[in-house]
Order: sequence, then structure tokens, then C-alpha cells
Amino acid sequence: MSTKSSVKRLLGKAEQLVERGVDKRVRIAVTGLSKAGKTAFITSFMNQLLHVTDNDQLPFFRPVKEGRILATKVSSYDEMHIPEFKYKQSIGYLLQDQPEWPLSTTSISQAQLDVRYQIKNEWIRKIQKQSHLTIDIIDYPGEWLLDLPLLRLSYKEWSSQCLELIQQNKCGTTTDWQEQSAQLIYQQHLSDEEITEVSNGYKTFIKNSFSKQCTYNLLQPGRFVLPGELEGAPVLDFFPVTDTDILLSDWDSLAQDSLIRTLEKRYDYYKKQIVQPFFKEYFEKVDRQILLVDCLEVLNGGYQNYRNMQFTLNELLKSFHYGQSNWLKRMFNPTIDKLLIAATKADHVPPEQHRPLEAFLQAMLQEARNDIRYEGIDLETMAISSIKVTEAVMAEHQGQRLMCVKGIELDSGEEVISYPGKLGEQLLTRDDWQAHQYDFINFSVPRNLTNSILPHIRMDKVLQFLIGDKFR
Amino acid sequence: MKDKPVKIMTNKNNVNVEAVDEKLYEEQSDKSLVNEMDNGRRSLSVGAKPALLKKKSNNRFRKLFWPSLFTFVAGAAIYESYLFIQDLFAFNGLLGGIATAVAGLALVSGAVGLFKGWVGRRKLRQRKDKQQVFKQLIDENSYGESQSVIDDVNTEISQHLDISGPMSVYSSQKQQVHNDRELIQIYSQTVLEGLDEMALQAISKHATESAVMVALSPLAAADMALVAWRSSKMLQEVSRIYGCPQTTFGRIGLTKQVMTNMMLAGASDMLADAGAELLGKSLTATVSTKVAQGIGVGLLIARMGIQTMKLCRPVEFTDDNKPKLSYIRKSLYSKITTILKKSEPSKAAIKSKGEQHDRD
Repeated sequence: MSTKSSVKRLLGKAEQLVERGVDKRVRIAVTGLSKAGKTAFITSFMNQLLHVTDNDQLPFFRPVKEGRILATKVSSYDEMHIPEFKYKQSIGYLLQDQPEWPLSTTSISQAQLDVRYQIKNEWIRKIQKQSHLTIDIIDYPGEWLLDLPLLRLSYKEWSSQCLELIQQNKCGTTTDWQEQSAQLIYQQHLSDEEITEVSNGYKTFIKNSFSKQCTYNLLQPGRFVLPGELEGAPVLDFFPVTDTDILLSDWDSLAQDSLIRTLEKRYDYYKKQIVQPFFKEYFEKVDRQILLVDCLEVLNGGYQNYRNMQFTLNELLKSFHYGQSNWLKRMFNPTIDKLLIAATKADHVPPEQHRPLEAFLQAMLQEARNDIRYEGIDLETMAISSIKVTEAVMAEHQGQRLMCVKGIELDSGEEVISYPGKLGEQLLTRDDWQAHQYDFINFSVPRNLTNSILPHIRMDKVLQFLIGDKFR
Repeated sequence: MKDKPVKIMTNKNNVNVEAVDEKLYEEQSDKSLVNEMDNGRRSLSVGAKPALLKKKSNNRFRKLFWPSLFTFVAGAAIYESYLFIQDLFAFNGLLGGIATAVAGLALVSGAVGLFKGWVGRRKLRQRKDKQQVFKQLIDENSYGESQSVIDDVNTEISQHLDISGPMSVYSSQKQQVHNDRELIQIYSQTVLEGLDEMALQAISKHATESAVMVALSPLAAADMALVAWRSSKMLQEVSRIYGCPQTTFGRIGLTKQVMTNMMLAGASDMLADAGAELLGKSLTATVSTKVAQGIGVGLLIARMGIQTMKLCRPVEFTDDNKPKLSYIRKSLYSKITTILKKSEPSKAAIKSKGEQHDRD
């Protein structure tokens, strides 16, 4: 009998080894600017996985199709200082009597899912039948993401970039802040109160730009728009220099207490103490990333908006660590090895136009995609909808049969049939942008979402791409 | 409900630009008629590869050889039969009548067989066109064009199989928003993968049977006949599973295609399988040469079966779902070894028989 027990002990040891060798944890960074649909995406992502056993709407998620996923649950995570993602609350908003979209995020939160599944590999299966995968998802305000490119820029560089963007933008008129800052003498000392006043002017300026849809996407810092717990702290009292002469001059000779030096100091502090720790903690350990882009707003907004968004996203993507991760590297220095760029709200677009939508997104991010591909990253673009709230219908309009979407308009609360305009196969030129006028309507959540499984478009493909290969 | 057309207002003075545009639009309007199964048509994005032109045979007489020989022989045979029946009539009226009836029966049944074979071959050709259409739809990733083709294939398959179960899964999983590529993939996953499994089982059954038969048969000539018989039976069954059944005459064409494919495309498969097979053979070699021959024949038949699947499946296999020889090899080995274990005493006999045969 001693041989039997020793065999058992050996098997136990082998099981431990296997557990360590097979990676059991995947961290997904859900990135996207504000209003791109991050919260809705995470809610739907969790919803699909939590109902995975009775969900027949996931034909492209292979582990489910093979019947290997046994169960999923929300588990508690090690990083206790991060608040939990309010899944119950979000799903509650969607399923209540007067359904609403989940509230947009104002601070960071995390969710962790444990998935139990049957192992596919027949050799490993001989030792161990089942295994589990831990999925970490992080939610945070999209505005904060705008700070990411700052890490690569000095104060001077940042200021020149801001100046360039303000000059490029034609839709805004001169604001109070611009008048205020024009009168400043940067070489001299300025009291803290006065700096606060000017920087408040700058903050209102950015906030207005955000709300006016002129989206100065790169008018950072993001915390100026959504300060979180930093409300009123002196670290947020700075602003870019927009004086060309100052920007071209040499700053080394200036006194330490001069205005420009103070601003530079605060900028550097902001960068080092606020931005860097944030991204280090939440994004450095990431191995899968999804970038959500609201193309519809871009198309509604016109050419300038398009250029802004294109610039912002391309800058953003440059800031992540990409590289192929093998198991050895993954243990010490994880990098992102799969990136999914998704055009959200695809349900607002007639299905026959999903492909042009994807093509549009691909063209918009051509530069960044090329760079990322060069690093050997698995990159895919998709048109998805986390929560599908419309139906595709054929409608007759002025003798033409058009494929439209039917849903409840968010603003009016009434049912509308919308044909948003035709997306072309080819790249839009500047003239096209003027000729084409798109009208993508925002839809609200219908009241018929009584089923606890949220309807979606291509979430199964998203799941397969992001985590499908982990269920080995 | 605003309809904003895509009409781009270009400067119409430039004639050149207009001409190119017109051509583009023509091609695009062409593209929407996918159902016409014109496999020569290529999309703009794919198929930019060069292709060899068909070599024109300048020797027409060489082409005429087989038809003319066939006509001559057939004509001679018909003339001979006519003379034969005439002789019989002269000898005895009743005998002549019977001979005429038999000849007529042979003629009619032969004609029917030929016709059925022709129908089967036509179906196989159509299947090839379908494969092309599906491939094009997958490449182009268009919207709303695949459902009619899938319905076509469905009606063909449902004449021979009951696929209502998988079809209900298919219709529950497909959504309005799925584009052609996704619909075809779902169809392939839900319906066709079930057929693949059935086909693999049939292939495995036939391969094992013939492996056992060859292992037990004492004569080399009988082996050949066995292989021909079993493989043709298998081709018939597999093609029936995919809804394009081949009859005796049609099978010849299919067999020819299968063989060509095995020689041309199968080379890479063979390389991939070779390692595993060698490993397996060392096991069989220890059992007996005759059994090893049997397994070899079984593998040949399995490979033929897989090629048949590739030819008959409406949607081409992808890397994920392509059938593997290893699946059949496993069941082949396990079955043969169980048979050998069951007949432990006769194992020696087989062995000695095999050795004897080798010495001959």
C-alpha cells in the first residue's frame, strides 16, 4: 500500500507544478476615452461570463461551444484598496422598470472573475481534470487616460503641443483664460492665489471644450476635468504656456521662483506623483487590452473632431508596452500581447454597414496599428455592441428600401427608425467630410430587457479574442 | 429617417477620372450577384495572384484518340451483338426474344446508371462552385448574401440526412447582425461539424474493416480487390453524408479527383503525418508484417476518405476544424489490437502466414 500513497503524493506534486506552469490569471485593460462605453462593456462582459452555462448567444466563444466552461463567479481580489466595480448596480440600472444606461465612471474600480473550466490538453488532463482562470478587469474614468501621453512629454513640449492644438482648432473663440494668460509675465514670480485663479480659468476652458463637442482631446491633464480625490489640491494648479516667445527662449537662466519654473515644477510633480503611479499600478501588469472607440460621435462631429480623435488615440496607443510575452517574460515583466480595437455602439448602425465602420476605424488608427503590428502583437478590429438596444429593420423611404435601426431615442424617449447615412468603403477625404452629414442617434435602453442575459453584438468574438486562448 | 446618399460631387470635367469611377461601380454592382456561382469572378481585394494560363494542346489528334477508339469498340460491340441476336433469332425465335430483352435491359439500366452518375458528378461540380462562393463570401465579409446559399446547401443535405436538430441550434444562434463570414462560420460550426463527425466515423469504420480484412486475407490479389471495393463503398457513404451522393459511375470521377488531390495536395499532409505513422509502425512491425500491411491499407483508405470530405464539404475546412488522420489512426490501432488480443492463438498463425507470404 505504501507504493499507492507515494504515487498519490507524486501526483499531487505534479498537479502543483502544472498549476504553476499553466497561466491562471489574465488582466484586461479596458481603455477608451470618456463616453466610449467602458462601463457598459465591463457590465456586459461580466454578464456574459456569469451566465455562460445557459447562454446560447456565444457561438464564437469556443470554450463555451465545446462545453468546457463549468461555472463563473465574482471573487474578491488582493488589491484591497481599490473599490469594487458595481456590477449589481449597473445591471440594476439596465433591468429596472425605467431602464437607464449605467452611470459613467468617476473613479477607479476593479472586478475579478473566477472561471472554472475543463482542461483541453489531453496530457495535462491526465493529471488534472479541471482548472480555473482568474480575470481581472479595471474600470476608471476615460479622462484620466488622456494623461498617459504626458509621461513622454516635458512641460515645454506639452505647452507647445497645447498651443498647436489651440491654433488648429477653428471652432472656439478666444476665452477668458487665453486673455488672462496673455497678460502674464512668466519670468517673474506670481503668488499662489493668482496661479490658482488662472488655472481655474484653464480648467473651465477645458471643460467647456469637452462639453461643446469641439473635443480638445489632448488638452490635458485629465484630472482637471475629473479630479477625483484631488479636488482643490495645489498639484492641480498649473496650465500650459501659450506664449511663442517664451516657448522658444531658454529657461535655464530663469530664477527658481519665476512663474514658469513654478509651473514646470508642478507639472513634473503631477507627472511623477499622480500619473506615473496610477499607470504603473493599473496598466503595467496588463496582458490583454481592449480599446473602445465611439466612432459614431466622431462621424457626427465632423472633420476636426475626427482629426482630434485620431491624434489622441494614436498618441494613447504609443504609451502602452507592447511586446510578445512568453511564459518566462510573463512572470517578470508582463506586456500586452493582444490588442482589440473595437468600435462600440455598433447596434446604432445598420448591420450591413458594420464592415465599413470597421474599415473606418482601421483607417483612423492606421499609424498606431502599423507600429503595434511591428511589435508582433495580435491585433484585431471589430464593430461591437456591449448591450444591443436596437433592431435592424428594412424601411421604405422615398421609394428606396433602406436598412435602418429601430430603437428608443435617448433624448425624446420615443421609438424612432434611423438611417444614419451611408458609410463609404473608401477613406473619407476632407471634402467627403463636408458633403457627408451623418446623424447617429443615441438610443436608450428598451424596457424589454427582462432576460438576465444581456443581448449583444459580437461580445462572443471579443471574449474569444481576449481570453479564449487561456482555456487550454 | 434621413437618407443621405453617398453621391460625391466631383468635378465632371475630368474625363479620365469618370471612366475609372464608372468601371469601379460596374464591378461593384457585379459583385452583389454572388448567387450566380461564377467562380471565375474575383473580388478587388483578393485574388490578385498570377495564374497560369491553360496550355492549349496543339495536337488535336491526340485528343481524338480515346473518343474515337471508344466509338470504334462500342460500335463493333453493338454490331456484334446485333449479329449475335440475329443469329439467335434464326436459330430459335424464343431464344432471340430473351436475348433481345436481356440486351435491352442492360442498355436501359446502363443508361440510367450513366445518367445518375452524370447527375452525381454534376452535383460534385456544383459543390465545388459552392465552396468557391462560400470562400468568396468569407473573404469579402459582405452582408446578407450568404443565407440563400446556406439554404441551398441545406435542402441538398436534408434530402439524405435529418439535420433538423443542428439547424434549430443554427437558427437560434444566428443573429440579424451577423455578416456573411459570421453566418457561414456559425453554420459550419453547428451543422457541418456534426456531418464531419459522422463522416469521420464512417471513414474510421471502413478503414478498420479493410485493415482487418487485409490482415487476414491470404492472397495479395484479394487485397487489391478488397481495397478497391471498400474504398469505393466508403466514398459513396461519405459523399452521401454531405448531400452529394456519388453512384458507381460517378465514383470513378470522384476517385480520380481524390487520387489527384492526394498526390498534389496530400504531400504536405503526408509529411506531417509521417512522423507519427513511423512511430506507430514500430509498434505494428513487432506484431506481424501482414497486420502492418493491413494498417497501411487502412491508413490509405482513411486518407482517401479525408480527401473525399474535403471535396464534398460545402464550406472549406479551416485550420481549426480540419479533419486529422490521427483521429482515425487511434481508433484503427485500438480496434486492430483488440481483435488481435481476442484471437490470441490465431496470432501465431497469422504471423506464420504472413512470413510465408513474404518468402513467396
